[in-house]
Amino acid sequence: MAHKVCLIRGDGVGPELVAGVEVIFKAAKVDIDWIDVDAGLKCVEAGKPIVPEETVAKIKEIGVGLKAPMTTPIGKGSVSPNVTLRKKLDLYACVRPVRSLPGIKTPFDGLDIVIFRENTEDLYTQIEYMATETVAHSVKIISEQASEQIIRAAFEYARANGRKKVVGVHKANIMKIGDGLFLRTFKRVSAEYPDIESWDNIVDNQCMQLVTKWKLYDVLVMPNLYGDIVSDLAAGMMGGLGVAPGANYGKNCALFEAVHGSAPKYTGMNKVNPTALLLSGTLMLDHLGEHAARVNIEGALEATLSKGIKTYDLGGTATTSGFADAVASEMRG
Amino acid sequence: MMTLHGVDVFIRTPEIPDLPKNHGPFELILISNRGSRVYPPPAPAMELSDWQQCRFLSNEVVSDSQIDELVQHLSGLGWQWTKCQKLFKIDGDNAFSQPY
Repeated sequence: MAHKVCLIRGDGVGPELVAGVEVIFKAAKVDIDWIDVDAGLKCVEAGKPIVPEETVAKIKEIGVGLKAPMTTPIGKGSVSPNVTLRKKLDLYACVRPVRSLPGIKTPFDGLDIVIFRENTEDLYTQIEYMATETVAHSVKIISEQASEQIIRAAFEYARANGRKKVVGVHKANIMKIGDGLFLRTFKRVSAEYPDIESWDNIVDNQCMQLVTKWKLYDVLVMPNLYGDIVSDLAAGMMGGLGVAPGANYGKNCALFEAVHGSAPKYTGMNKVNPTALLLSGTLMLDHLGEHAARVNIEGALEATLSKGIKTYDLGGTATTSGFADAVASEMRG
Repeated sequence: MMTLHGVDVFIRTPEIPDLPKNHGPFELILISNRGSRVYPPPAPAMELSDWQQCRFLSNEVVSDSQIDELVQHLSGLGWQWTKCQKLFKIDGDNAFSQPY
């Protein structure tokens, strides 16, 4: 039976990337019933909210979505469609796996880290005030329940996927109350997983260690803002945002997304790398239980990259559709 | 110019509080939990913390004593508040963020 999946084709280059992924999924003979739902700039231009309620309701009903990049309109009062979706669907865990890919030369051979970023609170609650004409005040919220939820998700993932180490990342030496609560929660939860080695690192030290001792790390878990920054750092170590996948999990639904922007200046040029969206799609296949299809597609992707077929961001000349066709032609079976 | 128009009252309660919708010059505009709007409905299907941000706002310029009176009224109704933040406009523009 076909898997039902909500599909947001996105803005800018989004639809071109989706077309590439569709070609590859078809070649892998994965039976997906794509259900198109609207969100993003075109909704705003049509006078609707950037994420219409019917889109939220449909993703809740289906339980799984794949999202291409969307554009956040610039201007007063505009909201991010990505943050809106995370909040309305209570997608509390942002998961970013980064690993070395063949054919993509970086200084970080053997990179294989999964970052768990808390997705619902911290400074991302965006509770902000001007306290006077010259002083701004942003409220950082760290709750025990949200901290425990993401920390437990990281340990459960480690246990289920044969990962050996989980590191809690924080700045509790300075933010002794907020990050202190996160750290205390990390220490309490980690005691329940004696089979997983665990320790904590201060976020600035963690960044330094990532680029000097990356092979030491396995699973990292951290509050929202640090997760935002560290996961982009890690994406760069993997080869850039063009190849870095993302997944957002809640209790009742999951949304998989390329983490890069919609690159409006390249719209219609058939130029942008579809790998990030493709690898987000293979994370989705794992979530759907289609493990063999995931292995097949990722094998075809690695074979393509190994042959030197790359898009411009990786120093190649392949087009979006040409790259997708090349991956599709590498599929086994 | 900075003018006072309301207050965010952060109330400690695990449920979405049933507060007066109007009091004096103020209207209960919204309640949010960790930055996500939970009132007016629809509320997202999210885990609630026990800290509700309740926004009372007026179209008019209000005084400190009107804010004090509102907060005392909420206390009198039995609501335990842990933090209040005045809401200002600067040159007519809101000097505070909107929740999602």
